[in-house]
Amino acid sequence: SSKVGTPCIPERKTQAHKREDLFEIARSRLHVSAVPETLPCRENEFSDIYSFVESKILDGTGGCMYISGVPGTGKTATVLEVLRTLKQSAEDGDIGSFRYIELNGMKLTEPHQAYVQILLQLTGQKATADHAAELLQKRFSGMAPRRETVVLLVDELDLLWTRKQDVMYNIFDWPTKPHARLVVLAVANTMDLPERIMMSRVSSRLGLTRMTFQPYTFKQLQEIVFSRLKGLQAFDEDAIQLAARKVAAVSGDARRALDICRRATEIVESSSCGNKKKELVNMSHVNQALQEMFSSSKITAIKSASEQEQLFLKAVVAEFQRCGLEEAEFSKLYTQHISLCRFEGLPPPTFSELFSICSSLGTLRILLTEHGRTDLQMRVRLNVSQDDILFALKE
Amino acid sequence: MPIEEVRQKLQKELIGRQKQIELLVSLFGEKHEMTVPSLFIYGHTGSGKSLVISRILEELEGNVVTINCIECYSQKVLYEQVLEKITILTVPEGAHQGYIKCDNMNDFVKHLTSSVKEQEIQEETLYIILDKAEKLRDMEPHILPAFLRLQEFTQLNICVIFLSEIIWEKFRSNTGICEPYTVFFPDYTKDDIFEILCLDCPEEYCKEFYASYINLLLSVFFYVCRDLKEIRHLASLNFAKFEEPIKKGEATVNDTRKLWKNIEPHLKRALQTVYLREVSSSQWEKIQQENIAGQEVSVPSLHYRCYLELPFYSKYLLIAAYLASYNPAKTDRRFFSKRSEKMKGKFKRNNERKSNHLLGPKLFTMDRLLAIFYSIVEGRVAPSADLFMQISSLVTLHLLSQVSSDDPLELPKYKCLVSLDTIRSISRTVNFDILRYLYDFL
Repeated sequence: SSKVGTPCIPERKTQAHKREDLFEIARSRLHVSAVPETLPCRENEFSDIYSFVESKILDGTGGCMYISGVPGTGKTATVLEVLRTLKQSAEDGDIGSFRYIELNGMKLTEPHQAYVQILLQLTGQKATADHAAELLQKRFSGMAPRRETVVLLVDELDLLWTRKQDVMYNIFDWPTKPHARLVVLAVANTMDLPERIMMSRVSSRLGLTRMTFQPYTFKQLQEIVFSRLKGLQAFDEDAIQLAARKVAAVSGDARRALDICRRATEIVESSSCGNKKKELVNMSHVNQALQEMFSSSKITAIKSASEQEQLFLKAVVAEFQRCGLEEAEFSKLYTQHISLCRFEGLPPPTFSELFSICSSLGTLRILLTEHGRTDLQMRVRLNVSQDDILFALKE
Repeated sequence: MPIEEVRQKLQKELIGRQKQIELLVSLFGEKHEMTVPSLFIYGHTGSGKSLVISRILEELEGNVVTINCIECYSQKVLYEQVLEKITILTVPEGAHQGYIKCDNMNDFVKHLTSSVKEQEIQEETLYIILDKAEKLRDMEPHILPAFLRLQEFTQLNICVIFLSEIIWEKFRSNTGICEPYTVFFPDYTKDDIFEILCLDCPEEYCKEFYASYINLLLSVFFYVCRDLKEIRHLASLNFAKFEEPIKKGEATVNDTRKLWKNIEPHLKRALQTVYLREVSSSQWEKIQQENIAGQEVSVPSLHYRCYLELPFYSKYLLIAAYLASYNPAKTDRRFFSKRSEKMKGKFKRNNERKSNHLLGPKLFTMDRLLAIFYSIVEGRVAPSADLFMQISSLVTLHLLSQVSSDDPLELPKYKCLVSLDTIRSISRTVNFDILRYLYDFL
């Protein structure tokens, strides 16, 4: 029998050839997973968190810290670096030894699973969520004179939210117990999370020790990329500056800047495939990568749509301009489309044909449509601005 | 049997479906050949969709699984029915064992592949027929798109056939689905219906005689009903009347005029009951036999629908509810207040307004219902628990319907659901002239 299959990328049969050339090294260094030993531009935050945790370990007390910042500003990386350094100094005997536990809200199937995870990492014991909560409560509230400090990193804190907020309450309540010796570092994206979603008794336990990671400025982004590429002559300096400035203007996300630089090296390689002459990554390559990442594909989709589809979009815009609303019924659009067809001298489509045109545009999310069972009464909206359509159809 | 022979045989057998048979037979092809992944067949009720498909696949000896989607109230039932029917495809009845449990699409595709391999039919086309496919739209949104690409998912030679009475446009969702191959079954023409009905000719009469009967029948019924099933039912029901003069010896087979005179009033009467099985077919036949025996039996009339035996106050409550539903609230003062005589002169009817009986019943509150009730009922009636019980039992009898929200602070609102004929017959039993109080009839 013949084989029918979904279109897919052919599988690689042999291992990819590894080349040790300049761009390959640059790419491996620019990869998001290649976190450097010391994070550039986060020295202040590092020392703040370090001194907070160190003081708690030295005093033998507990406490909470809330760390916030938009994605890609180095929150988790900084915390992990702090803990790495602390581990080193604990091994050197400068501070007392401590346990480190990690919890990620995104990796839990359900907020109450947090108890199970904490207990598993603390003692290696498996229990149900309720039982684990009981055991942890007992452990943290009981007396234990020779207990070592536990540092708990809670990533994606907002996902631990429940209606009763008991998970958050417990996590922030344990450090306040006199013998718990627990340090909680809570990480989330929004700055006002404690005020917005937590009950006052939860946010007061979280305390006011807060830290906000500002988005990277273009200078900082530039420095990050420079530090990664130290000793490699792969990039033009202006090219890095362009990438850094563009990213800083939009989000200040370091991951995005690194991705763009990686993509730029790929573009250089593919463009200079034939000639062996070495070429640096310059502005034009970075610009091309930026275009690929930031530009919207909708205008291209409209430009490459079929003649009748383009005509239908024109009919939609004409109908919106006629009635001054942002929404129209399909039956009105049909009459509009027929008259446009007459005007252009094209054969007018039947209702069924036009309906399939409309729903294919709806599938591409250029239009927002309803289910087909509403047929003539189906209301249609535009998912792109009218100006974009007119711009795309101008040529 | 080779395909060409199958086609010619079926085209002779099935009337009026030559084009569709030719198309479908060439689409299906030989057993081992791949066919279209999905086929959408639509047409009116009684246009032979299921018959043509099942006859073709029977002749081609295909592996067919037929499912009626109305029976599948959940996706689990649908999947398990398909899998169950596949397991008994090659095994003789009763010999198979084992029940496959399957409650999602992922498992279904897995089980389908394995059971097709088990049955050793992977080299042949498997046809899954989903009748009343419009029900699939009401199930989980992933089911219809998944069935449309079942061939792709299972990598097997599968053709899914959807039978429906509505057009494909009404199946499209806004996430986009794989388009099936669409086939339209047009309505039978008058000649087709004539030819098909002539096939049921009873053995004791000649073809021409029965054909003339069908011709008469169609001349009466064809304008109101083109549904083959219904016309066929009517033909079998009324034939006894048609052949009656011949059996009695009053006419011969060739006495067309006499036969027509005999059957015509009868058919005109039957025209009223097309689609309505008010008189069951056995009853109808009984009536005809009694008529033949010389007794005059009236057909059970429509009157029983208007006749209701209700308690005294319930009758008044229902009348009050009817008045409240069909009279505008501003005319209540005029109809029901004591001083109404004086106001009569001032009142002018606006001719442009629409009749309330055309627009349907309006909502009214319980206050208004009770006020009208007290003004029309004779004597003093205490507002006892009984009265309120009667209102709620009128609701459970579906004579009134409660429309309002469940808010306990708000008074309940009702609508009256009975027809004018019914309410007139009820008011006649309590000697109440309802037409004098209806705004529409003034």
